[in-house]
Amino acid sequence: MRRFILILMLLLCARELRATVLVPAEFHEIVTGSQIIVYGRVTSVRAEWSDDRSRIDSIVTVMAGSYLKGGPGSTVTFRVPGGQIGRYRNVMVGAPQLQAGEEAVLFLRASGPSIAHIFGLSQGLYRVKVDGRSGRRLVVPPVLMADGDATQTIARGDRNRRQLSLDEFAATVRQAMSGGAR
Amino acid sequence: MTRGAVLFLTGALVAVFSVPTAAYLKLGTRVGTRTVTLKWSQFPIRYFITDRGTTGVTSTQLRQTVQTAFSTWEAVPTSTTSSEFVGFTLANPSSRDGATVIGFQNRPDLERTLGATSFIVDTTTGAIVESDIFFNTAFPWSVSAQGETGLFDLESIALHEIGHLHGLAHSAMGETELRAGGRRVIAAEAVMFPIAFSAGTILGRTLKTDDIAGIGDIYPNSTYTRNTGSISGKVTKNGAGVLGAHVIAFDMRTQTLVGGFSLSEDGTFVIAGLDPGPHVLRVEPLDDGDIESFFDATLNIDVNFQPQFYDKIVVVPKGGGTSGVELNVVAK
Repeated sequence: MRRFILILMLLLCARELRATVLVPAEFHEIVTGSQIIVYGRVTSVRAEWSDDRSRIDSIVTVMAGSYLKGGPGSTVTFRVPGGQIGRYRNVMVGAPQLQAGEEAVLFLRASGPSIAHIFGLSQGLYRVKVDGRSGRRLVVPPVLMADGDATQTIARGDRNRRQLSLDEFAATVRQAMSGGAR
Repeated sequence: MTRGAVLFLTGALVAVFSVPTAAYLKLGTRVGTRTVTLKWSQFPIRYFITDRGTTGVTSTQLRQTVQTAFSTWEAVPTSTTSSEFVGFTLANPSSRDGATVIGFQNRPDLERTLGATSFIVDTTTGAIVESDIFFNTAFPWSVSAQGETGLFDLESIALHEIGHLHGLAHSAMGETELRAGGRRVIAAEAVMFPIAFSAGTILGRTLKTDDIAGIGDIYPNSTYTRNTGSISGKVTKNGAGVLGAHVIAFDMRTQTLVGGFSLSEDGTFVIAGLDPGPHVLRVEPLDDGDIESFFDATLNIDVNFQPQFYDKIVVVPKGGGTSGVELNVVAK
């Protein structure tokens, strides 16, 4: 029995590498702290050495569908820590992994001439998935946004918290940009 | 948070069904079509410390703090691990040099990351080639025994990152709150909870039951095998398996929490490393934040269901397991 459980754990519990210690951002902070907010589709992901050749990063290019903030052009490129060159894979635990063809709303920051990066490592990445039943595009994870000045404990399973459609999500971003729902 | 407050919260779990909790995961990597657990095959883990301090913390203090954090993990009675400080180095923690390096590094592009662990993995075997940890000098740090207002506690963050270094992923056993101006942690029942306590606290220096169960699961010794047990079963919704559900085991005797996730499409879960005795089970969705801190983005994690308690007390046998638990949930 013990052996069975250990084998089961080995098969089931192993996941891709992700982890780090984050200072959490509330949604308003993500919105106001980002220079570019774009909905689009990932068209390419390529790994390359960082400028000082100390680590491997992935350069992600997204074909912009629409910009909610900023708007550098029809495509936008940003850097994500980690990637694979040859046989060896460099993973910074906690860094998101993107694949060509995926859709997402991305909250990006850039300082000076450097290439942009996702706000808060993965906190500025909202993936867009097509709901199998309704066919609607849903944004995950759900938005956590302060409502007024009162402190709210976040309870899992809250019936009022749900995945937003892409249009609802865009409206929520605009609301946050205008300072609403705080 | 005081011990009393912790006990109150864990007690409240049973009473009001609303305290968010969860459990440990293990890191893994893909080798071909397989996913294998990421773990060290040899001990001691030999590491270097970057010979560079930051404001308020010297490299010598960093070394002492890292050694303390390693020692905390190595003191877990149900697992066997060890480490060895090799020496100081001028290399950065992110350098690809085949050595495990821990140190401070300035990463202004990671504006919300206090520290992080990285691995270089041989994709043909799944073996760890090296693992590094950096602490971001974009933040203010403290090694004070009591903590310092406005400064992040280096030992707490080192303990978390060294948990990753050993192969532990994140635990979702924590509670946060939102308020104008930010989100913050108000309670955590695992060092491996991914969100940091506010600056100034030293609450993250002590391993919790969930952390201990996790490290024992990866590097079990005879005490683990002999003295702990497991609970396994399925989480289902409308007859179909639920992927990514949190299943939490509340130990009625010790009032501690350990849990697991349903990690297959059929909703199967296993929670190992439990103390023997009666447990209360609760299942809840991971709908309060960054799913990618816990799961591979390619997985279709179901967060659309209501929390649910199992209607029976589950008794964990010493050195064995209780199986066949069926947790049926309903959509929100």
